[in-house]
Amino acid sequence: MIGNYIILAWRVLKRRRFFSFISLFGISFTLGIFMVILSFLQSELGDNKPLSNKDDLVFVSHIGLSKPYHDTITIIDTVFLEGVEVYDTTYDIKSEGRSMTNSPFNSSLILEYFSDLPPVERYSLFNPQETFNVYVNGVKLSIDATFTDHNYLQIFDYKILEGRRLSEVDIQEANPVMVISTKTAMNYFGTQSGLLGREIELEKQTYKIIGVFEHKARFIPYFSPDVIIPYTLQNLNEQYSYYFGKHFIIFDKESSATTQEVKNAIVTASDRIPLDHPDNRNNFETIEMRLMTFNEIFATGIYYHKDPAKGYRIVKWIIFGILLFFILLPTLNLINLNVSRIMERSSEIGVRKAFGANRGNIIFQFITENIVQTLIGGIMGLGLALLIIKILNDSGWLGNAGLTLYPKFFWYSFLATLFFGILSGLIPALKMSSLHIVKALKERTI
Amino acid sequence: MIELDKVSKVYTTKTIETTALNDISLNVAKGEFLSIMGPSGCGKSTLLNIMGLLDAPSNGQVKIDGQNISNYLGKPMAKFRNEKLGFIFQSFHLIADLSVIDNVEVPLLYRKISGKERKEMASRALDAVGLSNRKKHFPSQLSGGQKQRVAIARAIVGEPKIILADEPTGNLDSVMGDEVLDILKYLNEKEDTTIVMVTHDERMASKTDRLIRLYDGSQVA
Ligand SMILES: Nc1ncnc2c1ncn2[C@@H]1O[C@H](COP(=O)(O)OP(=O)(O)O)[C@@H](O)[C@H]1O
Ligand SMILES: [Mg+2]
Repeated sequence: MIGNYIILAWRVLKRRRFFSFISLFGISFTLGIFMVILSFLQSELGDNKPLSNKDDLVFVSHIGLSKPYHDTITIIDTVFLEGVEVYDTTYDIKSEGRSMTNSPFNSSLILEYFSDLPPVERYSLFNPQETFNVYVNGVKLSIDATFTDHNYLQIFDYKILEGRRLSEVDIQEANPVMVISTKTAMNYFGTQSGLLGREIELEKQTYKIIGVFEHKARFIPYFSPDVIIPYTLQNLNEQYSYYFGKHFIIFDKESSATTQEVKNAIVTASDRIPLDHPDNRNNFETIEMRLMTFNEIFATGIYYHKDPAKGYRIVKWIIFGILLFFILLPTLNLINLNVSRIMERSSEIGVRKAFGANRGNIIFQFITENIVQTLIGGIMGLGLALLIIKILNDSGWLGNAGLTLYPKFFWYSFLATLFFGILSGLIPALKMSSLHIVKALKERTI
Repeated sequence: MIELDKVSKVYTTKTIETTALNDISLNVAKGEFLSIMGPSGCGKSTLLNIMGLLDAPSNGQVKIDGQNISNYLGKPMAKFRNEKLGFIFQSFHLIADLSVIDNVEVPLLYRKISGKERKEMASRALDAVGLSNRKKHFPSQLSGGQKQRVAIARAIVGEPKIILADEPTGNLDSVMGDEVLDILKYLNEKEDTTIVMVTHDERMASKTDRLIRLYDGSQVA
């Protein structure tokens, strides 16, 4: 019986070409967009290399020094009383705010105050903001360097294809070495293997390649280095002040600790930083830092909230809402189309009921038809998603982020569409299945 | 086979009440071929629908094959119709998206019969109406007479005891109409199927066992 319904579904789709096009377009478009959004979220927020343990990490890029300022302005309110202006009330309006200055950290400050926090297993300081332009066969190539320590490639688990990571000795002795990404290796050397011992010169300093890591694009800036170099090779005496320099910090928590405990420990440690240092010329009174997990970094990019954790929760709801909207809108449209499509078949329903179909049979038939339609739309949607992802990846519109379609998202999207597909068939099916036979048969047909 | 006892049908709309059937008592014997005549709007279709359990009477009692009918909804009624009754309509009511054989198969879908057996039964029914060479055609590719023969095949495929035909020749020319009537006669005589047919054609009616006439919802002859 179900076989008959499937064949019928196919014939109905074929006969009503325009309707079929509209509804299949709706389903596949929804599914396609849904899969692309999920893939994007997964590639940014998923536990993939180099952020396999991203939920263990707390990131802080800037240290801020601030103090409140108060200005008192006296306002005198006047009123007219029987034509005579009289003084009514006097207010003091306190204009309050904070004046603040902030910057990445001085590396020495990090070593002194943040290198040994109890809930932290390891931390890394890094300066990802150095860009060098080099010329390869007359073509300009821009290389983003990250100056960092030996922990960086422990925390970010890029796959090492050749050679090794930076070692503690490399840092202590300021060895002029670098670990290079496959992307940069390809751009610079035209190959990504056999490069150990080769050299690259960046602004008169020659670096020897000791390792090659697999390039992974991320949409979040600062986390896609082209080359990784010991931070001790930069002149650390030329930092801006006792507080300020060029370094960000990433903390990797102890497995038993929570990221909140890490955040608390960072705040506690920052309380010990002296504010009576001569470099604090403006007599700032407070130290402020924005401590974020990776999910919170991502959320901050979409919606800024003073409390990153709250911002993340809000962004989660926003994304959920958008996805729901994407699914719901075409569903409503489909319900509408299905109602009119099934209405046109009232003669068929009348005949089937006259010849012994009960309500359940009719509902089952139309649901089956909708599922077949959704399946076809689903396959088209998968194709569409792959196409969109390919176009996005090829165009480079997403910066250096690369999307891949994960099979599980196909299934999520598919189940969601199936659910709404059934729903969109159920409503008209319920309506039509209760149609009175004699009325249904009034419809003229072949 | 069909017993109607003081059956009335009143249609109530917002503005008017129409008495479509007025106190009809009627017995159709097993194996009888009854025709119903009367002017347009006199209640013929209404009467046939009540006999076919497609509609409930406002008053009175309907008995089919010895069974009193009280509940017109739900699965048992659908099953009862499926097993006992076959319908032929003036406007054929074939399903456009289904091939001839698939149309004929429809009543069997609602029984527990395998796909293979369904196809065999449908083929036999098509043989009986002389359309075994049109199985894969679609309704739009058939003439009116052929369509009505497909509809007859569909009505008889489940071997019902009763066939109800509402102006089955109304949309056909006289040659095709005669063909259709011959098939019904054959079913009635050879298969002992009880048939009730509404018709406007005295000549058709004269070929049946008995004729009743309706006027304004009442039986006049
Ligand atoms: N669903 C309905 N609602 C209201 N009046 C109806 C309905 N169906 C039929 N009638 C009325 O009942 C009367 C009998 O109709 P019908 O049985 O179809 O007549 P016939 O088949 O003899 O032409 C007609 O007056 C018709 O207008
Ligand atoms: Mg009629």
